[in-house]
Amino acid sequence: MTATEAPLLEVRGVVKTFPAGGLLHRRVVHAVDGVDLHVRRGEVLSLVGESGSGKSTLGRCIAGMSAPDSGSILFDGQDVAALDRAGRVEFRRRVQPVFQDPRASLDPRWPIARTIAEPLVANGMGAAAARDARVAELMSLVGLPRHLADRRPRELSGGQQQRVAIAAALALEPELLVADEPVSALDVSVQAQILNLLAELRERLGLALLFIAHDLGVVEYLSDRVAVMYLGRVVETGTVDDIFEQPQHPYTRALIDAIPHPDPQRRMTTARLAGEIPSPIAPPSGCHYHTRCPWAVDRCSVERPGQTPFGPTHEAACFVAAEHPFPPRTSVTLQKGTL
Amino acid sequence: MIALEPVTVTSRRRRIPMPRWGGREGMAGWIILGVLVLVALLAPVLAPHSTEAIDGSRIFGAPDWSHPFGSDDLGRDVFSRVLYAYRASLSIAIGSVLLAMAVGIPIGLIAGYAGGWTDLVLMRAVDLLLAFPALLLAISLIAILGPGGLVALLAIAIIYVPIMARVVRSSVLVVRNQPYVLGARARGASHWAIVRGHVLPNAIGPALVQASVLMAFAIIIEAALSFLGLGAQPPTPELGLMLAEGNNYLTQAPWVEIFPGLAIALSVLAFNLIGDGLRRSFDPGQLAR
Repeated sequence: MTATEAPLLEVRGVVKTFPAGGLLHRRVVHAVDGVDLHVRRGEVLSLVGESGSGKSTLGRCIAGMSAPDSGSILFDGQDVAALDRAGRVEFRRRVQPVFQDPRASLDPRWPIARTIAEPLVANGMGAAAARDARVAELMSLVGLPRHLADRRPRELSGGQQQRVAIAAALALEPELLVADEPVSALDVSVQAQILNLLAELRERLGLALLFIAHDLGVVEYLSDRVAVMYLGRVVETGTVDDIFEQPQHPYTRALIDAIPHPDPQRRMTTARLAGEIPSPIAPPSGCHYHTRCPWAVDRCSVERPGQTPFGPTHEAACFVAAEHPFPPRTSVTLQKGTL
Repeated sequence: MIALEPVTVTSRRRRIPMPRWGGREGMAGWIILGVLVLVALLAPVLAPHSTEAIDGSRIFGAPDWSHPFGSDDLGRDVFSRVLYAYRASLSIAIGSVLLAMAVGIPIGLIAGYAGGWTDLVLMRAVDLLLAFPALLLAISLIAILGPGGLVALLAIAIIYVPIMARVVRSSVLVVRNQPYVLGARARGASHWAIVRGHVLPNAIGPALVQASVLMAFAIIIEAALSFLGLGAQPPTPELGLMLAEGNNYLTQAPWVEIFPGLAIALSVLAFNLIGDGLRRSFDPGQLAR
């Protein structure tokens, strides 16, 4: 994984809007407002933000489930929007979604073996016997005991259901999984199991992962890099170390501060996140975050900040940090791997 | 890295018992319906008298052992006539609903799944039908085609098509946005495979519940049409028609009126019980296997 290698997925200036409001006041929600991102082969990029930050919408665009209004998504160097029919089939095989609610992502009437085999059947892969063998292989890959094959989703625990959903997503041997909050509907103890599974699958299969989450604690364990989104824009990207050791955007600092910590004294107390995320129908001017930012200056409410580099892998969109970079977070020592 | 430990649920082969037939009520409904259908089929064997045999000595004859439901104004055996009447009523009720399902379910499926303009056009056409009062629609159709059992069946089916289509559409709208449908799409499943494999099986429940309720109503509509003289024509034994005739002699010979009325009530009860049972077995909390 060298930095010079062409990324597996590249997102360039993607915008996605939805119509909002009544008939008279026709307005749009900028769910995703000009996002640039990339994911390298075998890399885990986490997309983090509060509800309404547009991370799920971006994930849906990347997984090919909705089309961006403008901007482009390049997979393996090819513009996804320009693919022909065969190309789209191929793209669908290589990029697979995993959803938040494992229960809803499985047909309640289908035995799980049928759900796992569905992509194979749909793509006409293998005879029935070969498919059965592949299903068994996938089940053991995700740690599902064989005797569950004939069970309905309702008979499984949430963690097992998510394992089934992951197995189905892996059936076509994708190169990129787009996992939209795959653990946030699960019990904390089960979350760790699924995260371990994803980490191991990534190692074993060389899978790239776009991991969408609202919880930085979960992200730190799994990711290579992190992108923080706020109201449809990426405010900071960097490696896990960049983000967790030297967060530059005040929003990132607030999110990190929100990770529960046993010692409340050891926090960057100045960055407390107050209030609600503003409405995406009428987002604040300039830097969207200025209404909640304790460091905001006049310029923040006027101009949209561009990305300022803070290191070879690290950039953030903040006027204040660009002039006086925030110090590393020495005050807080979160152990890696704690959830 | 923590080693992957497959989570085993302690082999609980025990299945949660499912109200397959809709529990006690549903079961009662199915049994009553089964008996009624059997009675209708076996009417020639079970009926003690001919439906058209006029017995001058038994005009308004009270119920006795050989005439359990008494005799009507022409001395015909009410019991025998009720048995035969079930044939017409049940076949019109079941036939009209099946016809409405055959037309309405595909309309609802296509409209709900395709959405957009397809949905708009199909649903406005359906709304057009829905805008007419049910009986008025039936009566106008009969005015055009002339009265008769088959016309009544057709009229009731036309009344029901928009209802079935709407019910199916609304549940399809829910199902088609389920992650398992989106996921199937992302995994390359065709629209046809998705509709057949995911959408229809998961959206059909409310339509079946509706169908059983509509069958109960069909019996009543059909009886109402016959009561108005627009359904089956005399001397065909038909429950609504018998009500209409018995109405005139209610004070002299209440049995002429009461027994066909009870017969209607019993079949309506059966369909309603079945509907309740279906509703229960499609409850998401205890999805039927």
